[in-house]
Amino acid sequence: MTDTGTGPARFDELIHAPTRLSLVSLLAATEWADFKFLRDSLGLSDSALSKQLTTLEDAGYLEIRKSFVGKRPRTSAQLTPAGQQAFAGHVAALQEIVARAGLAVLPGEPAR
Amino acid sequence: MGKLMPEEEVMSTPHVPPIDAELALAEMQARRAQVVDTNLVPRWFWPAVGGMMLLFVAAVESAVPWVVAIGSIAYALGISAMIVAVVRHSRVQVRTALIGRSGAAAIALFTIALVVIGIGLGFALEAVGVPMPATLACLPVAVGLVVGGPRLMAHLRRLMLARPLAGSR
Repeated sequence: MTDTGTGPARFDELIHAPTRLSLVSLLAATEWADFKFLRDSLGLSDSALSKQLTTLEDAGYLEIRKSFVGKRPRTSAQLTPAGQQAFAGHVAALQEIVARAGLAVLPGEPAR
Repeated sequence: MGKLMPEEEVMSTPHVPPIDAELALAEMQARRAQVVDTNLVPRWFWPAVGGMMLLFVAAVESAVPWVVAIGSIAYALGISAMIVAVVRHSRVQVRTALIGRSGAAAIALFTIALVVIGIGLGFALEAVGVPMPATLACLPVAVGLVVGGPRLMAHLRRLMLARPLAGSR
């Protein structure tokens, strides 16, 4: 594990699975995201998204909230601090792999 | 690269081809762009605010009671409907850290510039005796909203997408 300045680099198998990578990437850019937004963005069924959310919730990476907008119930999800830390560590680990291979790191990413 | 990783930690990282890592990072960036694009104020918002503001000020300045009444009611209903539409449309809230100080400064600068132009021009026109000074002063403000609003959104979008994927927390 190396400290990249964005937190320790730590490859996270749970996050790296394709659907969860997309899901956590969406959540990492948000304070919270609506269930329907996540479902539509990822092209998943309600049950498939629920399953992925539960997996991440069980790992302590996200929190699911239920609220009301007017009379309509709204389910939303947000990353916990542990989830944000895991995401940052995973980003750093991927950047290390890319940098080691001499590939270009995405614009805005610190070069190492 | 910089420093070497301890052997046991290198071992704990599964073998991921660099191209897969690159693709995963690109996916993260694309998902951020998706969130940012969803969260920006819709394009119709700016002309709607500019138009309603102009009509409201003109109605009040007309000093005709029934015009003032209708203009005020239409403005209140219009603004409320817009807020409801934007709130209902919002299904995600972009992380505040992505906007950052520079984004907040851009928003503040845009707002202050329009307020100063509107008030300054209004008083100046009134001082030289031009009729309907407030309405005339509102014209450049409305144009500023229509032209500057989408530009402000584009600037904020660039700022948010340029931030590192992790590390701004």
